[in-house]
Amino acid sequence: MALSLAISGLDAGYGAVKALRGVSLHVEAGETVALLGTNGNGKSTLMKCVAGLVRPQRGSMSLTIDGVAHDLTKLSTEAIVDLGVAMVPEGRRLFPKLTVLENLMLGAFRAAARREIERNLAVAFETFPVLKERKSQLAGTMSGGQQQMLAIARALMSSPRLLLVDEPSVGLSPLLVSQTITKIGELNQNLGLTVLMAEQNFNQAVRIASRGYIIVHGEIVVAANSVDELKGNDIVKRLYLGGIV
Amino acid sequence: MDLLLDAVVIGVLLGCFYAAVSIGLSVSFGLLDVPHVAHPAFLVLAAYLVFFINEHYGIDPLVAGLIITPLFFVFGLAAYRLYYETFERRGSDAGVRGIAFFFGVAFIIEVLIILQFGVDQRSVTAAYIGKSWRIGDMRIPYRMLVAFGVAMALTLLLTLYLSKTYMGRAIRAVAQDQEALRLMGANPIRVKQWAFGIATAVLGLAGALLIIVAPIDPTLDRAYIGRTFCVVVMAGLGSMSGTLVAAVILGVAESIVLTMFGASWAPAIAFAMLLGVLAVRPQGLFGRRS
Repeated sequence: MALSLAISGLDAGYGAVKALRGVSLHVEAGETVALLGTNGNGKSTLMKCVAGLVRPQRGSMSLTIDGVAHDLTKLSTEAIVDLGVAMVPEGRRLFPKLTVLENLMLGAFRAAARREIERNLAVAFETFPVLKERKSQLAGTMSGGQQQMLAIARALMSSPRLLLVDEPSVGLSPLLVSQTITKIGELNQNLGLTVLMAEQNFNQAVRIASRGYIIVHGEIVVAANSVDELKGNDIVKRLYLGGIV
Repeated sequence: MDLLLDAVVIGVLLGCFYAAVSIGLSVSFGLLDVPHVAHPAFLVLAAYLVFFINEHYGIDPLVAGLIITPLFFVFGLAAYRLYYETFERRGSDAGVRGIAFFFGVAFIIEVLIILQFGVDQRSVTAAYIGKSWRIGDMRIPYRMLVAFGVAMALTLLLTLYLSKTYMGRAIRAVAQDQEALRLMGANPIRVKQWAFGIATAVLGLAGALLIIVAPIDPTLDRAYIGRTFCVVVMAGLGSMSGTLVAAVILGVAESIVLTMFGASWAPAIAFAMLLGVLAVRPQGLFGRRS
């Protein structure tokens, strides 16, 4: 399955505030790419641009599937979901007053996903057995870790090929962060999902990433081709590993 | 004692009728947060269309209600689109201005009804209107039993629709998190428009009940603003079964007050209960907001 996401010269913002300036990055099939940066540097805006929630002001974003290029800057979120892009939003954004099962079924809202619902539900329950046990529980009454599992499982319900994961570690204890990141790594390994993950926890993210980018004040300041290159970078040492190296 | 029992039985049936006329608002205001104060005006409009069909073609009012249901669905789609384009998309203060919009719509409907049908009371004829079922000393009008049956059917159908279909679940989700719903590949505006269409479509049968239960006049909607909003708020915004229970509570309360203290007090009950609920339990009896 050939798939690649290429972003080039992307500007985006809210009114007078520029959140992204000339961002370029690419993600190839089967990779797990980390987008690293602390809060307020534009990670979420970039993820929202790819998902079609925020329209970029300039630049290009194209998703090539089996040799056919799709211009993401011109597509609605519905069309982007249909192309096989799913997003696990920051803060999970579940429907708290609906049950676990109802949340999952909403993940399969698109017509193509409805046809696959039996299979995808089985995959979701197999990957996250706790969700099967709690399928009739209201999503809002679950613990933070379980809610994060549900948010990821809900994204899997649309049969995605590219999974965007925005800040999976937010609001979770260190142990749960570690478990969540491991799960995302397994999705990449077992289901062959291509993953673009925005994260501020450097050490956790590089455990599963094949390479990564550092974004500061809306600009990509480091583009590293391997985790080792990332760890050896001076900016990274200064920003993240200052106390350790 | 017999008098009280009588009042309670009639009150339950009256409550079911209130549920039928409120359940659409439970979707539009309860789930979609649209300040739809024109809901009772839509209801009265539906009742007049039922009257028109009944008088000209001799069709049973319930069947007439079913005939106008698809018409009202489309009417609802259009009304939401107009509201969305002119108010909702402009952002956060849309709520207050939205109320003004729907008040305007309500007055326009009132005036159109007066121009077309005049100010006289109108009623329909059907086999079950004017006759009663006797059990011992108690007399239960058949028209109230019809209201009971229709209310049960509407509540059941809407509950099933909202919990068992993809669109129904999306309608319940849209009030909780619009952006998350977009990530599911659903267009929140289209979901809300569809839901508003359904909320308006159920007024077909509700309007038929309105004119079956009692004669109507063009300003009858004003008497139902308090009642319908009382029921929806008391139910807890967006709960269909809660709507039925809350409506029955209102019906019984009105009926008892009517029996004990006289008819002039009855219309005040809805507002009193509305204020009481807002003061004591603003999330309603079966509230979706915690």
